[in-house]
Amino acid sequence: MSRPSARKAAPKGEYIETDSGNKVSRRSAITGTANITLGGRTVIMADVHLRGDLHPTRAAPSTSGKEPITTSISIGRCTVISTGSVIRPPSRISRGEVHYYPMKIGDNVFIGPHCTISAISISSHVHISHHVTIHPFAMIKENVKILPHAVIPANMVIPSGSVVGGQPARVVGEVGEGWGVGGGVSGGIGGGEKGGEKGWVEGGDLRELVRSVK
Amino acid sequence: MAQPFPYTYYSCDCYDSKVAAAPTKHASQGIPPAEDEDERDFDPRSPGANYSLYPLEHLLYCEDCQQIRCPRCVVEETLNWYCPSCLFEVPSSVVKTDGNRCTRNCYNCPVCSSPAVVTTLEDPFDPSSSGGPWLLLCTYCKWTSLEIGIEFEKHTGITAQLARLGNGGRTIPSHKEREKERERRLELDKHKSRDILSGSEDSPTTDKRDDGPPSHDDIYANLSAFYKSQLAAQQPSNPFSPHDINFSSPSSFSRIMNLYSSSTSKKQKREKPTPMREAASPLEGLTLHSPSTDTAIIDRLKTSGWSRTLSPAQKLAQMTPTVRFTSDLRPLASILCTKRGKRCRSCRHILSKPESKITSTRYKIKLLARNHIPRLSLRALHTSTSASASATAAAAAILPFNYDSLRPGLPIHFLLHISNPLFDPVRVTLATPSLTPGRVHTRVTILCPQFDVGANTDVWDDALSGSTDTAAGGLKRFSASGEGGAGRGTEGSGGAVEAGKIWERGRNWTSVVLEVVPGKDGKA
Repeated sequence: MSRPSARKAAPKGEYIETDSGNKVSRRSAITGTANITLGGRTVIMADVHLRGDLHPTRAAPSTSGKEPITTSISIGRCTVISTGSVIRPPSRISRGEVHYYPMKIGDNVFIGPHCTISAISISSHVHISHHVTIHPFAMIKENVKILPHAVIPANMVIPSGSVVGGQPARVVGEVGEGWGVGGGVSGGIGGGEKGGEKGWVEGGDLRELVRSVK
Repeated sequence: MAQPFPYTYYSCDCYDSKVAAAPTKHASQGIPPAEDEDERDFDPRSPGANYSLYPLEHLLYCEDCQQIRCPRCVVEETLNWYCPSCLFEVPSSVVKTDGNRCTRNCYNCPVCSSPAVVTTLEDPFDPSSSGGPWLLLCTYCKWTSLEIGIEFEKHTGITAQLARLGNGGRTIPSHKEREKERERRLELDKHKSRDILSGSEDSPTTDKRDDGPPSHDDIYANLSAFYKSQLAAQQPSNPFSPHDINFSSPSSFSRIMNLYSSSTSKKQKREKPTPMREAASPLEGLTLHSPSTDTAIIDRLKTSGWSRTLSPAQKLAQMTPTVRFTSDLRPLASILCTKRGKRCRSCRHILSKPESKITSTRYKIKLLARNHIPRLSLRALHTSTSASASATAAAAAILPFNYDSLRPGLPIHFLLHISNPLFDPVRVTLATPSLTPGRVHTRVTILCPQFDVGANTDVWDDALSGSTDTAAGGLKRFSASGEGGAGRGTEGSGGAVEAGKIWERGRNWTSVVLEVVPGKDGKA
């Protein structure tokens, strides 16, 4: 929305790169940029919709007089959000009003193409395949793999180290001990790290994974 | 596992080596054991191969056996139990007494298995003092516990409330009440039989107060009480020393005498234990099949129809898997998960041991295979597009290679990337059948079947001592001929892939090119 300055400064290309190494596609739809934090080296691809405008409105009593900075979506480091995904903070109706809750996404999270994510928190090293729907207030712990086309029901807690799939999703297996090991730096889009050493998360080269996303 | 297509599976030969070791005992078997272990080809197409192929991250490495260890050749030991929903640890004593279900408020929908939440039925215009009646609601399929006629008074302690509430709101008698009831009925039965013997016909009992067939729990309680009484009758216990071995009882006396007498003595001394009686009445847990229940069920099927019956999965998830109708469903308490350590099956050394804290995902011990065996990865080589050195910007624009549509007869180049986690250099010799077996005969040629992979030395060591034979950083060095320099450049100029040369090489990795000519269906 409000990136005219960035558009002028950045060289022509698919991605705008920030100082901390985040790469945000010019074709992504980001609303409420003030309420979104990106950890660094995070990739946001084209047609991703980040609904930062749905921020918590339950205003704390303004003692300082200033408008408190509300974060609605916070995304960690080296996270990839693939094309066509919608990230939307969860909401709940209480006393006749809609309240949004801040959403947290950890480090090294891969969100596949065409997902709809409304989880309250996604921890680190989570791999979400394509066409996954996560209903509001689901909580996903570390080292979780979500299989394609899964639908995570609302309020579900997925314990760490599990593989989930199905509609509604249930735990169908466990990831191996080697999950996420060495996936320290990922998300370089065809980037400088040659050798395939860096982008390795679980069974696949994340770089290849990212490249295969249309 | 749904990995991106060109994946690598590693074969663990734990089962095969066991099979090879076993026939040594049987001389009749013609298989020469052990020595030709390397000679035996692993056939990835055999049905059994599915059980020995694993992705690398599932494999562990036993440093004592110097073997990779797959999930088949480790033993697991449970460290602790926890509820996957509330992530609270459950002590093992509680697991023994209460079973492997969460006793907090964690319930799953019996229809779709997704978690159910406790919500209130409170009328906002007429609020009650306690905030509710409460109910369990599945947010996925909108099943509520009202469908089975259950409401809760409090929003906490659902398990305890549910234990007292039957479907439709009737109360379930507790264990003690059941015992009392059984006693009472037994008394009544005695009276009745005496009455019949004495000939008086006016039995004062209004015994027919039970409604319908006894429930699963009733039958179980009756049966277990009956067998307990039978066991008690079997062993005449000494009330003064219940835990002592009872020397005075004739059975144990004869047992001891048998021990000391010679084994040649006949077994005539041992008297057979009196056979236990089986349950003979409903109060002892006997259930007789009555055709009337069958007809009742059929009638219910006729009236309520297919939609009111349960699927096999729903039935199996229930605590009593004999239920048939949706009105018999009970909410499912979530099943506990475990944290497990793993040991090598042959030497019992610990291979992985997670921290016992539930929320922690760290490991105290974790011996991964990926730190001990070379890692292989395969992917298509983009030769058609002129991948220039400035690939950074172009990479996103390159169309992703479609692994699903390989055309028969058209050679495709794949890049096999081998990286070495060890601190010693590795020499790799690759081999492949020139034609793959199976329905589609694909020609696979490894252009450089023998090469070295450098040691996984410290990056800084390499950088400091590197100037002599290898350049620091992401060095490319080519074997054989001296056209070192720009590997990608030669490829870009159309000269492409050459036989006998590695494609690219780095500090501890080497990549070689495979040429794959997909075959036609059916013929070679």
